[in-house]
Amino acid sequence: MSAEVEFAPSGFSAVEPPPRPVGNFAAAALRFGSLIAFAAILIIFSLTAPYFLSIGNIGNVLGQSAISGVLAIGLTIVLIAGGSNVVTGGIDLSLAANMGLSAAVYVSLTQLGYSDATAIAATILTGALIGTVNAIAVVYAGIVPLLATLAVMNVVAGLELVLTGNTVLPASTPFLSALSASDPFGIPVLAYVLLGFTAITTAIVQYTPLGLRLYAVGEFPDAARAAGLPLRRLLAGAFVASGVSGGIAGILSVSYLSGSTTGAGEMLLPVVVTALLGSVFSRRLVPTVTGTLLSALLVGFLVNGFQLLNISSTLVSGVQGVLILIVVSATTLLRRQEA
Amino acid sequence: MSLQTPPPASIGLPRLIAGGLVRYGLILALVAVFAAFSVVTPTFLTPANLQSILVNNFTLLAIVSVAMTFAVASGGIDLSVGTAMDFASFAFVSLVLAGQPVAVAALAGLAAGAFVGAFNALLISAIGVSPFLATLGTLFIGRSVQQLLTNGGNPVYLPPNGVPEAFRFLGHGTIAGFPVPLAAAIVVIAAAAVVFARTRFGRVILSIGIQPGVVRYSGIAAPAHVAVTFILVGLIAAIAGLILTATVTTYIPSSGNAFLLNAIGATFIGTTLSPLGRPNVGGTVLGALLLSIVANGLLLTDLNFYWQQVGTGTLIFAVLALSFINRKAAGA
Repeated sequence: MSAEVEFAPSGFSAVEPPPRPVGNFAAAALRFGSLIAFAAILIIFSLTAPYFLSIGNIGNVLGQSAISGVLAIGLTIVLIAGGSNVVTGGIDLSLAANMGLSAAVYVSLTQLGYSDATAIAATILTGALIGTVNAIAVVYAGIVPLLATLAVMNVVAGLELVLTGNTVLPASTPFLSALSASDPFGIPVLAYVLLGFTAITTAIVQYTPLGLRLYAVGEFPDAARAAGLPLRRLLAGAFVASGVSGGIAGILSVSYLSGSTTGAGEMLLPVVVTALLGSVFSRRLVPTVTGTLLSALLVGFLVNGFQLLNISSTLVSGVQGVLILIVVSATTLLRRQEA
Repeated sequence: MSLQTPPPASIGLPRLIAGGLVRYGLILALVAVFAAFSVVTPTFLTPANLQSILVNNFTLLAIVSVAMTFAVASGGIDLSVGTAMDFASFAFVSLVLAGQPVAVAALAGLAAGAFVGAFNALLISAIGVSPFLATLGTLFIGRSVQQLLTNGGNPVYLPPNGVPEAFRFLGHGTIAGFPVPLAAAIVVIAAAAVVFARTRFGRVILSIGIQPGVVRYSGIAAPAHVAVTFILVGLIAAIAGLILTATVTTYIPSSGNAFLLNAIGATFIGTTLSPLGRPNVGGTVLGALLLSIVANGLLLTDLNFYWQQVGTGTLIFAVLALSFINRKAAGA
């Protein structure tokens, strides 16, 4: 994960080191190191909190991670197509606000008496529309993604406030009830939604030519251009896909919270952390959908374990911060050592 | 601050107009926003309100934005400016509450801000973490630490009768009729402008942001300069934290983060003022002024408070779009 922040005029600086080849020792060590750390955390929690490793609890964590997981996977697609430079490369800061507005759209429509099908379509369309605005701003107007999506975030958050009047709007429909239910084993339906969403995006991003092209555009834009790939369209598509995940996450959050609530923006930084952390779970330290899922679950299990152990939830953001610094520092040091 | 009149836009060449927009988009936006609010709201153009814009909206944002400009100029970004503000504010209030002299407490506050900057500097320069991720981590840790220090986020108040005179002076006093916070902002702005325009340090920082490779090969200790930059960012943000605290005589956990996005916005809007899109103090100050005017003006309109956020966001978006489209057209 080389996320060097540069403002070179062209956006592609000559000093950026090329990504290391597959299978180098340091990356492998880090990859397994992070998996071992993950396992160690699970073991410690399951020893100290007896209920931790029960199927019901694992299902709960999956269900609770569904919203942030879907958002982080959406962000991962942008990270892949935009490259790893967080300022000039791929980032979508409007995702959490997108989820908030999408949720508000869903609830407003059901309150007006529209069917679930209409509301779902309109919500996903809302997400896609926000993604399109980002895509136009970044790809066609050429605004740096960090700024473009920052501005869009403000607009979208404002629109959500206008729509909801900054109040909690309740919603209850057959579809939402089904989504917030649990299966006979006590595993929430949202857990399956997360796994299903991950499976579909993994299939597309990791196993199709389209996915390969997204990586090419992000990592080797010049080569991708030389190979005749439609750079702009692929990057624009990534932003739209991320917008759609925002819409889907909006529906999930309406189901999870039985309505639309304010404060979606609080999700932003945890989601960014989740997506960025995800790359330590990949062999080449690049963003991957499965890596992001693992990282979302890691955060989910941490929060859950803390709750079971009665450790103050105020520590969670601190642990997230320490975690990202350890991971990123380790990555940087390992890379430097091997270079 | 003289708002220069833009070149006449009536010339029939679209390219020339576009060219003017590249360079003067920010100033045009300022003039347009100023004119629009003067027409729409009767109270906007009163001396009392103009002063309110400068003291209530502009001061703190300008200081934080100047701090951000240093980070961005060095090729990074600092997401923890709010954290530095908060730590400074917490140290300041706690020590005053403990009966320490205001000067000692203020110095401790500045040290707390510099400490946040030093933590970033360590991560960025010594370990090589990218500024975005390093300061993001600092932001998260800072939030947690503040909650731990305040029993889960309770504000720390100074008792109304226990506010020392010097403390009140910092927040509400005047020097020859000039509000102290505004004077502090102007000193910070002027100092930063001098650093960028007249010192070797300023030139090196800008070069690191533009051509890190060249700087490295020319034998300049880039990491040391970046480290100093981030400590400086924490220090400047701490000044804003002190003023904020002195104004409201309260420390509210994580309140500094409210300035983060606008400071980033002001800094990057400010880059539109430079022909090559570089961060610059003048542009940042105008960017902060633009955001302050918009925030104040929208408050005076009858517009629903929530539409105001939409309005601000759309305006920032439009200014950025204009600038970037034109920058691209200019081939920069």
